Amino acid sequence: MKLYFTILIFFTAFAASAGTKISGIVTNQKGEAVPGSNVYIKGSYDGTSSDVNGNFSFETDSSGKQILMVQALGFKPQETVIECAGQIIELEIKLSESINLLTAVTVTAGAMEAGDEKKSVVLKPLDIVTTSGAMGDITGALLTLPGTSTVGNDGRLFVRGGDASETSIFIDGLQVGNAYGSTASNVPTRNRFSANLFKGSFFSTGGYSAEYGQALSSALALNTLDLPLRSQGDVSIMSVGGGYTQTLTGKQNALTASANYYNLAPYQSLVKQDFDWEKSPESWDSEISLRHKWGNASNGKAGFIKAYFHTEGNRMTIWQKIPGGNSRGDRVQLRNRYSYSNISFRHSGKKDWFFYGGVAFSHNSDALKLNADPLCRINQLAHAKLVAVKDFSPRFSFKNGLEWFVKAYSEALTDVNLKRSYTDHQPNHFAEATYYFSNRLIMVAGVRSGHSSLAKQFWMTPRFSVAWKLDNQGQFSFAAGKFKQLPEEKIRVLQNNLQNTAATHYILNYFFASNNRTFRAESFYKIYDHLVTYDDAAGNYSNFSQNGSGYARGVDFFYRDRKSIKETDFWITYSFVDSRRKYAAYETRVQPSFAPKHNGSIVVKHFASALKSQLGTSWSWNSGYPFSNPNRTDDMQQKTKMYSDLSISWSYLPRPHIILHVACSNVLGRNNVFGYRYASQPDESGTYAGLPVGQGAKRFAFAALFITISRDKNANQLNNL
Amino acid sequence: MKKLTFIITVLLLSVLSVKAQDSPFQKIMKKEIEKINKADSLAQFQQSANAFSRIAELNPTEWQPLYYHALACTFQGLSNKLTLDQKDEALAKAEDLAKKAEGISADNSEIIALKGFITMAKVSADPAGRGQSLSGQALAEFGRSLAIDSKNPRALILMAQMEAGIARFFGSGMEKACSLAKQSMAIFAAQDEEVLKAAMKPTWGRRIAESMSKSCE
Repeated sequence: MKLYFTILIFFTAFAASAGTKISGIVTNQKGEAVPGSNVYIKGSYDGTSSDVNGNFSFETDSSGKQILMVQALGFKPQETVIECAGQIIELEIKLSESINLLTAVTVTAGAMEAGDEKKSVVLKPLDIVTTSGAMGDITGALLTLPGTSTVGNDGRLFVRGGDASETSIFIDGLQVGNAYGSTASNVPTRNRFSANLFKGSFFSTGGYSAEYGQALSSALALNTLDLPLRSQGDVSIMSVGGGYTQTLTGKQNALTASANYYNLAPYQSLVKQDFDWEKSPESWDSEISLRHKWGNASNGKAGFIKAYFHTEGNRMTIWQKIPGGNSRGDRVQLRNRYSYSNISFRHSGKKDWFFYGGVAFSHNSDALKLNADPLCRINQLAHAKLVAVKDFSPRFSFKNGLEWFVKAYSEALTDVNLKRSYTDHQPNHFAEATYYFSNRLIMVAGVRSGHSSLAKQFWMTPRFSVAWKLDNQGQFSFAAGKFKQLPEEKIRVLQNNLQNTAATHYILNYFFASNNRTFRAESFYKIYDHLVTYDDAAGNYSNFSQNGSGYARGVDFFYRDRKSIKETDFWITYSFVDSRRKYAAYETRVQPSFAPKHNGSIVVKHFASALKSQLGTSWSWNSGYPFSNPNRTDDMQQKTKMYSDLSISWSYLPRPHIILHVACSNVLGRNNVFGYRYASQPDESGTYAGLPVGQGAKRFAFAALFITISRDKNANQLNNL
Repeated sequence: MKKLTFIITVLLLSVLSVKAQDSPFQKIMKKEIEKINKADSLAQFQQSANAFSRIAELNPTEWQPLYYHALACTFQGLSNKLTLDQKDEALAKAEDLAKKAEGISADNSEIIALKGFITMAKVSADPAGRGQSLSGQALAEFGRSLAIDSKNPRALILMAQMEAGIARFFGSGMEKACSLAKQSMAIFAAQDEEVLKAAMKPTWGRRIAESMSKSCE
């Protein structure tokens, strides 16, 4: 009993003397206080937080050798071995910075991101659909961004002196063939994919990552939605058609199916058209999208698989006047069938491995009839991709990707049994390393290589970018790289062994984002090489060579402000492009018709709560399109008058689940001209007769009613605006 | 004999003490929960966050320390003293922790309600930029939370606040928002807070419900 007593006394005494007081200060490497850091003895509940001045002090009952942990947001955790023996311990802890992807510098050269939460975004996903003038077309919204030119008789994306084929489009990382609807020449087209599908986009106007290839000027990567929020049905009734979308959601899966029908005939019978339609454009489309999520992100292994199928059909017949002719002109009849399917996955594995990839297939067939001559074109694109990313440390990650493209094209004059076609296999590999020197300095270097079975050519292109964050919210980035692209299919099918065309980009960018204001300035220099040139004898091309070359240089500015004017969000864009190139049938370097020198736009959105409405307007302008007048001896020396389009839109939300949307483009009714077409032969007086290439109609008005049916009465189709 | 009595006494005592007394984990949890419930400054929420982080590290299989750590980060993310970047940093941390908590306790109405609260905090950090896209997500999260436990007073009152915002925007009536607030208040009033506290269950949100119920009257 005595013994027990002794032991008890001993323990009490020990416990009383065991309290060790630990105090000190936590600073960064510069000696500045780090407040709010977590200071504690590892393996015990004993600990505290540093105060505003970085000081801390606490007591522990632990004894002997212990590990003192210090953790703070933005810093690497630090361990210090201490000896707890009842005495007071004084410590000075210096923490070193850790890489924080959320706030660290990002490369913004060439890149414009649309996302919800990221820092370097210039657009929100909703902007793509709420920009007036865009009429729900993804391309239309992107054309209000710097570095782009509106080409009103084409409708596609033209970037920095590059033609539309120089932009490659990807959905969930997989390339899309024929992303724009087929159309007759000088009749503008739209992107086939509904903006509602996407949660964000990455639009690069140059200097992009090694992940993207076969694009000389630009890459547009669209990312589809993950799991929708709820099951719902969406009805749309529009002045040009209607549609229905049903979404079903489970816990880990979702299914969306939609069908739409559009017919411009009723609208075009009411409003005077400048195009001579025999049959107004009519189209249908249907889509199915399946999504499945697995695993648990908290324990490392998780993934997502998406399958998406889209199919559509379009038809139109239009008469196009011949310059100098008196008749109705050429009759162009077009029937288009298009399908795109895409299965993509992403999976985060153990040990900081991340995998993504998938397969995609596009099939486009155009049955054209030019007067009596039928022509059938079939375009196919298959793309398979597998990418592995490994984060070796928070500073260093390495990406490796393998891709396989199969591109097939055929065109046939069906009545005379003439057919020509080709199939090209293109294995590609890319590797890219990203290294953070600090939260303020990042470097990305990559290389992309590929081989074309048809061109029998191997190529390798380096890419490099670096970004430096300043003390304020601004940052500079620089990007450079070489880019290759095989010529357009219509040319390749005539001359199978054509090699890659090439471009080199240099881009210097300044980006500033703070408190709902964004400013972006970028200058660029792009050199074109190995462009295809040929002789053009009234549409018959011959004598192909790749001696074409050129350049595009310029500067562009973007300012967006959501703060200065109450309930109002606006952005202003100005782009200057100086481009000359020798290409196609031009014998000297000319300013291309699709590269106006000065381009600008202003987009304003105002939320009028009292009217339960969003009012929008956008103005887009450029200094005019160059064109060649055969009545003069020089190429491309003339320019159209300037282009200007003011559009307005009004979205009214009488109830949370009902949206009424009205929009009108070119409200001022300006007669825009995009160029001139000339007769191939001079008339009796020796002059070539010309016709302006203009708009389909002075204005385009659009009205729609969107109704969402769900158990949650607040759900709506804001995305449809 | 003496020895035997002693051993039995010791055993008995230790058994009793286990029954009557909290484990160190429960003890410290209760102490810190008490603190976070009273906290109203950025520094206090930071201290709470650190304290729950320490507890979570020692108890990796419990969801409550992660939940409260996330909650402390969310309250920080709502502080007007922080810049947008700092708010986002705190809320990203909160989101990460809530996900981890969900990994331990799936289909937990409280954790899902907290996720909705985090989304709400993101919206309030930048209402013009995020309101349209994230409001729906917050509502859906509260909906999921209530599907598991229709009597979760926190999910009810936060949803009531979202509904009130929508009603204000559309100039429609506050009936729906107020009825949710009333339901929430009734649950808060009926519950025995001490019992919940003893079980380390969340009890916060009462003040929001009280002030909203008042404004509804």
